[in-house]
Amino acid sequence: MVKAVINGLKVEVPEGTTILEAAKKVQTKIPTLCKHPDAYLHASAACGICIVRVKGTKKMLRACCTPLDEGMDIVTHDPEIVSIRRTVLELILSNHPNECLTCGRNNNCELQSAVADFGIREEFFKKIVPNIPKDDSTGNIVLEPRKCINCGRCVDVCQNVQDVWALTFLQRGINTRMAPAGDISLAESPCVRCGQCSAHCPTGAIVEKDDTQLAWKVLRDSEQYCVVQIAPAVRVALGEAFGFPLGKNVTKKMYAALRRMGFKAIFDTNFAADVTIMEEASEFVERFAHGKSVLPLITTCCPSWVDFMEKFHGDMIPHFSSAKSPHEMMGVLVKTYYAEKNKLDPAKLKVISVMPCTAKKFEISRSREMSASGYQDVDVVLTTRELARMIKQSGIDFASLPDEDCDHILGEYSGAGTIFGATGGVMEAALRTAYSFVTGKKLSKVEFENVRGLKGVKETSVNIDGKEVKIAIAHGLANVEYVLNEVRKAQKENRPLPYHFIEVMACPGGCVGGGGQPYGVTDELRVARAKGLYSDDEAQAVRCSHENPYVQQLYKEFLGKPLSEKAEKLLHTHYQKLPVYRR
Amino acid sequence: MGKTVFIKDTTIGGKDRTRDVYGILLGVLRERGLENNVQLVRVVDIGVYGQGVVVRVLPENFLYTHVEDADIVGIVEQSLIGGKPFAAKLVAEGARQLRIVLRNCGVIDPESIEEYIAKDGYQALAKVLSDTPEKTLQEMKTSGLRGRGGAGFPTGMKWEFTRKSPGAQKYIICNGDEGDPGAYMDRSVLEGDPHSVIEGMIIGGYAIGASKGYFYIRAEYPLAIERIEKALHQCREAGLLGKNIFGSSFSFDVEIRLGAGAFVCGEETALIASIEGKRGYPSPRPPFPSVKGLWGKPTCINNVETLANIPVILLKGGAWFAGIGTASSKGTKVFAVTGKVKNSGLVEVPMGTAIEDIVYGIGGGALAGKSVKAIQTGGPSGGVIPKEHFSTKVDYESLQQMGSIMGSGGMIVMDEDDCMPDIAKFYLGFCVDESCGKCAPCRIGGTQMLRLLTKVTEGEGTPKDLEQLEQISHAMQKASLCGLGQTAPNPVLSTLHYYRAEYDAHVKNKKCPACKCAKLVRFLIMSEKCVKCGMCFKACPVNAISGNRESGYLIDQTKCIRCGQCFEACKPRAISRS
Amino acid sequence: MEKLTKDGLEKLRQQHAAADKNYIKVGFSSCGIAAGAQEVYDVLCEEVRKHNADVEIKKCGCVGMCSAEPLVEVRVKNMPRVFYGKVDKETAIKIVEKHVGAKMLLNDRIYDMKVS
Repeated sequence: MVKAVINGLKVEVPEGTTILEAAKKVQTKIPTLCKHPDAYLHASAACGICIVRVKGTKKMLRACCTPLDEGMDIVTHDPEIVSIRRTVLELILSNHPNECLTCGRNNNCELQSAVADFGIREEFFKKIVPNIPKDDSTGNIVLEPRKCINCGRCVDVCQNVQDVWALTFLQRGINTRMAPAGDISLAESPCVRCGQCSAHCPTGAIVEKDDTQLAWKVLRDSEQYCVVQIAPAVRVALGEAFGFPLGKNVTKKMYAALRRMGFKAIFDTNFAADVTIMEEASEFVERFAHGKSVLPLITTCCPSWVDFMEKFHGDMIPHFSSAKSPHEMMGVLVKTYYAEKNKLDPAKLKVISVMPCTAKKFEISRSREMSASGYQDVDVVLTTRELARMIKQSGIDFASLPDEDCDHILGEYSGAGTIFGATGGVMEAALRTAYSFVTGKKLSKVEFENVRGLKGVKETSVNIDGKEVKIAIAHGLANVEYVLNEVRKAQKENRPLPYHFIEVMACPGGCVGGGGQPYGVTDELRVARAKGLYSDDEAQAVRCSHENPYVQQLYKEFLGKPLSEKAEKLLHTHYQKLPVYRR
Repeated sequence: MGKTVFIKDTTIGGKDRTRDVYGILLGVLRERGLENNVQLVRVVDIGVYGQGVVVRVLPENFLYTHVEDADIVGIVEQSLIGGKPFAAKLVAEGARQLRIVLRNCGVIDPESIEEYIAKDGYQALAKVLSDTPEKTLQEMKTSGLRGRGGAGFPTGMKWEFTRKSPGAQKYIICNGDEGDPGAYMDRSVLEGDPHSVIEGMIIGGYAIGASKGYFYIRAEYPLAIERIEKALHQCREAGLLGKNIFGSSFSFDVEIRLGAGAFVCGEETALIASIEGKRGYPSPRPPFPSVKGLWGKPTCINNVETLANIPVILLKGGAWFAGIGTASSKGTKVFAVTGKVKNSGLVEVPMGTAIEDIVYGIGGGALAGKSVKAIQTGGPSGGVIPKEHFSTKVDYESLQQMGSIMGSGGMIVMDEDDCMPDIAKFYLGFCVDESCGKCAPCRIGGTQMLRLLTKVTEGEGTPKDLEQLEQISHAMQKASLCGLGQTAPNPVLSTLHYYRAEYDAHVKNKKCPACKCAKLVRFLIMSEKCVKCGMCFKACPVNAISGNRESGYLIDQTKCIRCGQCFEACKPRAISRS
Repeated sequence: MEKLTKDGLEKLRQQHAAADKNYIKVGFSSCGIAAGAQEVYDVLCEEVRKHNADVEIKKCGCVGMCSAEPLVEVRVKNMPRVFYGKVDKETAIKIVEKHVGAKMLLNDRIYDMKVS
């Protein structure tokens, strides 16, 4: 522990704590525009606003990156410090367009808040705003480098947390700008659309592509029959936009809101997650117990991970589960099974998905197999952030809504389906079902605690019928390489496999920390949201996917059995190696 | 050896009487029948300036200044015949250079390791390796050597920090990314005496416990790179690099990395990022490179000039080195004296030498017909020092007190034609170009300041602009991430401090007192003085002057770019500049 | 070259220690090369060969008088060691002919600056 003084108040913090963090202990908030509270991101020390003074000296330090040392005496606010901060803020403002009213971050922009807090009422310096075009080439993440304040969060998260290296800084001096490396379009870059850049951006320089107007158009078209599905992680994050406590599960209010917005049927991706488990667990059992095809099996629910693998780890394709993601399975089941049962014309059925994810916007047109129903299986993808805006546009008082239920027959879910939204959740759900498939027995305890939590790579094993199943779970794409290299090393040296089953989710924490979720993600928030999902799991009467009666009905009435010919056609996909750069 | 006499009239302005004195001296010698015993030589430069006729007698090296014709007989009789000094005009030699860093530059063949060894090369390494690294650290601390890259951090301490940092793998880096405008001593040392830098680096490696060194040299220095490459090859052949150097347990090798043209990569953390193959962005400190540097390992970065000092210090002892210089700044410093000075070049003098001794005594003062106004030290991070303060003795602290810094040793001489806001604009423009763009105060602050200075030099400035300049300067100094941004406002602040009146003239009277700022100056031909020679017509690069030798000439103000070529070309001074 | 030992280093040092020989050194750093050192060097070599002059021509780094490049240092026994500055082809020829050959220093070419 380190003992020091901040603003005359004694403070004791663990060694290595920054002045910025330590100041919070004495109820002091030091302003910063570049340091994100998310511990995955490094302090870039770019903005220069967090400067503090070593008491009695002229020396100023950056609070965001300077660890508090034993005996330090720090002043965080004095007239000189505040006036320098103000000048720096005015300088940043002089380099930023005044387009707040039409900006994707209007009302939740960190720069806007700082300028408001400092009470800046006039532009002191002449505007020097660069003229750099917008890049909306990907159709899911939009770069507006003009609004960039060069904080470096997106570059840090893209390079160091996700290991994608799509974004970098180009040029220097006043011409420095965030852009895809090589100054190509984002679509041509290695970008996997995880959207972590947009989730961490302090301003409107990187935002999700807004599809709310498109969604309204589809929804209001009386010719169309529009249904909606909601991903697991959305229910524990949406509440943040309406003042609910962190991690609060608002599933039933969300159903009510969507129904009032005009959706004909409210379905839940959690149901499709149960279907995914039926397919994926069967696939695993085939490989593990019956020696069909290679091990380890790797999960494929995450479209960013799939894109990443196709670009960077093409040699791992044989290990990939061919099961589509729950979101896509829902799309195809709506336009086949649901349409058939309700005698609806699939051409007039529209599926809108609400996802914690920007990559899902890309997944719906990933390949022709995403139109297995004969139509594009999912029509529009909205992120959690977009849904929140649509609810507000609808004039719905979300917090006061009554609880409502979802619609049959693609709504009711098991506890296994809901934990898909947290890292380790897909693995845990799959293990619950795989155990029963292999042993024919019911699990006495369905929780697999070892697969939960925020450790970057979780390695453990479970015993199924006397056989040890070795598993690894990675989240945050930079953690993937270690796991895959362990597999490659073992294969090369002909050693026993280090793992039989691997789960990967691109975003740190899994979908609860997804790129389309409300802003300000930290580990505290990831834990709270995950906790919301695990509580939802516990609250369910049915805890295993294969026990979900609606899933059983689906197979009985429509698919036959997992991995049947029909299931393969509708619910499975293929992968191909992709070039890292498309140019 | 027979007698030799050097003659040079060093009078500034007026007729050069060197040939006259030569004739008189020759006559006196002939009268005495000595013309074949004495070599009489007119020289271009005699190392003394503005001291009238100067005569030097060799081999005794008697130096006579302000020699009148009447003195010549005395010099001949006393010195050339008698071998004694002619007391009436004898002067002591003025400021001289003391060469430690440049000891071998221009002396040995830089591509021959044998010539370096003949000058006691690698003796220090042999000596150091037979003792403990702690002994070397002690010696370095005794010497008081401070880093020559700019900040002046004590080298011995830097080495000790790195040695004491935990870690099996450590690195030493030679920072050869010299980039200050006008400073090129590092290039000269790398080109002229590469082995001295390599020897310094090997010794450093031994002292801090590094097994690997990197030369980071800017790619714009191809010859320096070539010579270092050759020298490294020679060292490997001779076993001075590689395993078990001199049979000791110490092994060390060196690689070269090229800088890609970014000034900021001379900053330690940016340099490390660049070697690692990343964008050359500075990073916050702590952690300091001595704790977490290259590839996350403890790393010591030393400048070229610093390393070139090391072999001599360890051969002659730290105490010897500490005996040179001032109380806080030991040893010598190489200055690159450039700009509006007679002898531009490299000068190595003991710390504590007065600026006037460097500028006038060694540099020879201003160019013909001009007078020195000020110097800029420390490159774009430094400041100006007006000629009124030239008695200042150069060392780290006193330059700082003057509002400038030592920096890497650039010393740019400015004369009466240099406009201070314009100079400030030049240096700031350099930093704005070279800003890496990472931190907001430097990236945007620098650009805004440059915009304001441009307004001032174009006569569009207001008193409020000067206030804003000071306000931004202050924020940049305190809130920029690295040295580049923190020091970039220095030239502006120091010129504002010493030459406020010049700024006021630009802002309030819309006048440029030095007649430098193109938008504020007008050239006119004064017909009453014009001799219609046509020189101005020929000199004008944009054909703004029309007329002929009968009718005279006229400057078209709409075409004139205010370059001043006609003004310089006009012998009868018939062109006015205002 | 063999791996050096401490004794070997000392031996090498003595072997190459400056002998009392005539030499002409041409500054071959960037400043010298840019100002035309290569041509001067070639002319000097050619002239020395032609006159079979008793002088060794060597290359060296920059002595610091960059404004006077190309700079040529001449050392002939029993004569002062001098620097010729801004040496061109003609001066180079004269250096070999007059200075080295006739033991006469050249007028209006010497830069007698305070190098050390």
